[in-house]
Amino acid sequence: MQKPSKFACWLSTFILCMLFWLLLTLSLDPIELILGAVVSGIVAAFAGHFFIHYRAFYLYNPVRLVALVFYCCIIFLWEMIKANVSMARIVLSPNLGNYQAGIIRVPGSPNIKSEYGMAMVSDCITLSPGTITMDVAEDEENNTYYYVHWIDVTETDREKAGEVIKGRMERWIGRIWQ
Amino acid sequence: MVRIVIDIFLAVGVIFTFIGVLGVQRLPDVFGRLQASTCIATLGNIGVALAGIVYTVANHGEVMAYIRLGIILLLILATNPISNHALCKAAYRTGVKPAKDLVIDDYKEDDPA
Repeated sequence: MQKPSKFACWLSTFILCMLFWLLLTLSLDPIELILGAVVSGIVAAFAGHFFIHYRAFYLYNPVRLVALVFYCCIIFLWEMIKANVSMARIVLSPNLGNYQAGIIRVPGSPNIKSEYGMAMVSDCITLSPGTITMDVAEDEENNTYYYVHWIDVTETDREKAGEVIKGRMERWIGRIWQ
Repeated sequence: MVRIVIDIFLAVGVIFTFIGVLGVQRLPDVFGRLQASTCIATLGNIGVALAGIVYTVANHGEVMAYIRLGIILLLILATNPISNHALCKAAYRTGVKPAKDLVIDDYKEDDPA
């Protein structure tokens, strides 16, 4: 993983900032556009170096963008509704459902190695009620592990627990990030 | 018709926000409370924001209004897991005891940090 050139970092961040500026102002007035370009240029000059790790234009790819939107609107929403309902069952039952909490080490997918991919997997795990990612670790053979605090441990086998916790989310994130 | 859709979204949002608040009150320890509070940030937040978006679209409100609602929704969804993860890890590492013994504790055995 080599670092992209400084200009590619700057351009990629600039495009993203400019898109957000257009979304927030919603006008094609030349003064607004020039002001937005100046502000985005300054922000990109400072932040681009930290923002891009490798392959600056990775996400500007129609297939990945469509996969991202589809994932956020359908897959993620469905997994979240399921998790919310099971959380509601614990909270609303009179004896709190006798839940058994635990911290379990879940193996990550070997396809997802980039920092953005791992961050998105752990964010999605944390966003579904009932599971919180506490740490991400890597061993000598470059396998990634997520340490997940799980409020109702129904499966102590780590592979199967990973299937229950991550469900379809990780396979879809593997199509978006490497 | 539109009114029914708005009411359904609002009802979902309010019910799950209520469940989250109830969970924060009822569950016995820090970790359980953090888990329950996620309900507020996900389905509660999505329900209320979607109701607002449908309301502004149906009443021909400003375009800015629902774009801002969408951005608020995305920002809450993007920032909530980070604070939750930091709180949970900090609580564990400073030695907060769970109310019941953990069934399985890989974090203590491996100690990756």
